[in-house]
Amino acid sequence: MWFDRGMVTPRVWLLLATVLIAAQAPAGTTVQPPESLPGILLSRQLIESRGLRVGDVVRLSARRGGQGARPFRIEGTYEPTPDPMRFAQPRLEARLHLPDLIALTADPSDPASGDSVTAINIRLQNPSDATAFARDVSTRLPGIVARPTRAPNDRTSTFLVLERFHLAIAIVTVIGSAVFLLALMVMLVDERRATVGILRLIGFTRGRILMQVFAEGALIAVVGAAGGILFAFATQGVFNRFFQWRYDTALTFVRITPEVVWQSLLLSVPLGIAASVMASWTLLRQQLLALIRR
Amino acid sequence: MNLLNSCAPVESIQVLRSLRFAWLSIVRQPARACLAILGVAAVGALLFDMLLLSRGLVLSFRDLLDRSGFDVRVLATDAPPFTGPRIADATAVTSSLAALPELEAVLQIRVRDAQIVEAAAEPAGPRARLDRVDFIGADPQVRSMWTIVQGEDLPDRPESAPVLIVNEHLARKYGITPGSELLLRGRCESLSEAVPAVRFRIVGIADFPFDSTTARTVAGTLSWAERLCAGEGQDRAEMLLVRSKPEVGAFTAAAAIRAAHPDLHVVTNDELIERFSRVEFSYFRQISAVLATVTLFFGFLLIAVLLTVSVNQRLGEIAALRALGLSRSRVSAGVLWESVMLVGAGGLLALPLGAALSVWLDAILRTLPGLPADLHFFVFEPRALYLYLLLLTVASLGAAVYPMRIVAVLPIAATLRREVVS
Repeated sequence: MWFDRGMVTPRVWLLLATVLIAAQAPAGTTVQPPESLPGILLSRQLIESRGLRVGDVVRLSARRGGQGARPFRIEGTYEPTPDPMRFAQPRLEARLHLPDLIALTADPSDPASGDSVTAINIRLQNPSDATAFARDVSTRLPGIVARPTRAPNDRTSTFLVLERFHLAIAIVTVIGSAVFLLALMVMLVDERRATVGILRLIGFTRGRILMQVFAEGALIAVVGAAGGILFAFATQGVFNRFFQWRYDTALTFVRITPEVVWQSLLLSVPLGIAASVMASWTLLRQQLLALIRR
Repeated sequence: MNLLNSCAPVESIQVLRSLRFAWLSIVRQPARACLAILGVAAVGALLFDMLLLSRGLVLSFRDLLDRSGFDVRVLATDAPPFTGPRIADATAVTSSLAALPELEAVLQIRVRDAQIVEAAAEPAGPRARLDRVDFIGADPQVRSMWTIVQGEDLPDRPESAPVLIVNEHLARKYGITPGSELLLRGRCESLSEAVPAVRFRIVGIADFPFDSTTARTVAGTLSWAERLCAGEGQDRAEMLLVRSKPEVGAFTAAAAIRAAHPDLHVVTNDELIERFSRVEFSYFRQISAVLATVTLFFGFLLIAVLLTVSVNQRLGEIAALRALGLSRSRVSAGVLWESVMLVGAGGLLALPLGAALSVWLDAILRTLPGLPADLHFFVFEPRALYLYLLLLTVASLGAAVYPMRIVAVLPIAATLRREVVS
């Protein structure tokens, strides 16, 4: 089933705006032994930003002024599931038991607020029934939105758009590099004018020379592409470590997959070969006497 | 040429000669020169677009915020607008803020969820009747944040009859015109479907600046926004929009609001832009910086390789020219001007290419779901052009350094001998 938000996320943002660190209970309040306090989990980022430790007692309030704050004991820490939609936002989060959260945030003037949650996650016995189940729930409970987790939604569309954007950038880069490659090959082929002229003089046909050029271009293209892919593998770790440090997240930003490798090879190798053959063909088309400059 | 020699300063003549030398080197190999210029143009277009992207979102977002006509926003918490809790006792807070001398206007915004039950011309499809809309309740006596494109705005006098403004997408989809009717039922958090539907009369069609292309937005008075759900909102508003007096400014107005209501979160347009730039837009800033750096390095590398190979192919010719009496500086300057010409020509060609490319890339990114329809990613500003020209200049100069060194330290006699022997 689709997990819209964590059961605590919408209200926890409010709570976190008012987390009060209390190493000791404020004067005038009844001191409860920490073991009897309800437990919570704090995200690693929140623990580190506030200098907290497991076992500390903190007071949480749902109001900016801290009214109605309640003590909780930090029972552990967790690493928030990396969310690419929110990678730039600091993951200052807490996880409470649902009754504790409701008790903390319920509006006394609203009887329904104590019986409301943001989302319910469901695991079906047969996951393939998700679509039918969601449709059935939506029909039986008007006003409820039920959606399979695998259904396309805004998050999927967002990354499809970004994928198209990256592909467009890659196409432009490839075109630019192909033009440069062709320019370089034209220059390098021109250096071989005398060599090609001599080969033609001793009987090599245009076709045979072209095959040699093709093989040479293929070898250079494959070696170059392989070198580029190895460079990408070597630098993906650098990129990931930098951006994971920059955004304090466990998200993986760059991943070289077999599909990416094949796409790169399918683009770069034919381009390299084509540039080599095109540049050489302009030379091979010339008359023999012109090649040897007579 | 004699007149030139006699009238122009010596330095200018040398520059002109170096330019001519570079020009002759370029035109002698037209295919190579054209390919190099095209390559620079492709790389330069991408570089230019990345510079446009680096601040494009921020500029476009600022324009959207300014178009709304309000420069300060008041929220219950620092959560992004419409995602956090509502402001309690909104009417009292609005009245309190409106009394502040620094403020010109305060607009309360309440957003409620509603469902279209019946429309003037229902679109085809089995789900046509289930379209959900965002109902914005606002005070019609304050200048609205939307722009009327057809019909009239909400009347600023108390109306007994429910009236509505719809956005252009809804108007097109349902064939709505001023005078049409729309039957809406509130989708209430705590109430069942027993809430009665309300029949609204459309008085106008408006452009809402933050609407996406598929947004379904309607606007009515505050009272009708509450009546959709039988008043369950209990005087809570999503946000207060504030317009400061021109002589006071947003910063001072925000300070006054914070002093009056320290429990509320107050943010000026500038602060909102800074927050979005730091968080929500950071991906595009990062990728534009990374791609601009990679593109610039790529272009620099390729021009340097091209020039180096070109110089290496002409070592004999350069040695002969040196032997004839051309100075080292003149020949080196020729290589430098060759680099500047190639990069300059390619860079100029890159501008229209980059503009066209930016339109394409912008069209791709604007299909991101939920984005305002008027938000653009690639926005031109003179700063981007100046930075682009500066980077290309640095790249052309840097790319010429190694080839110039080759030319400068070339051993004339040994090179000539090698040319003759080979």
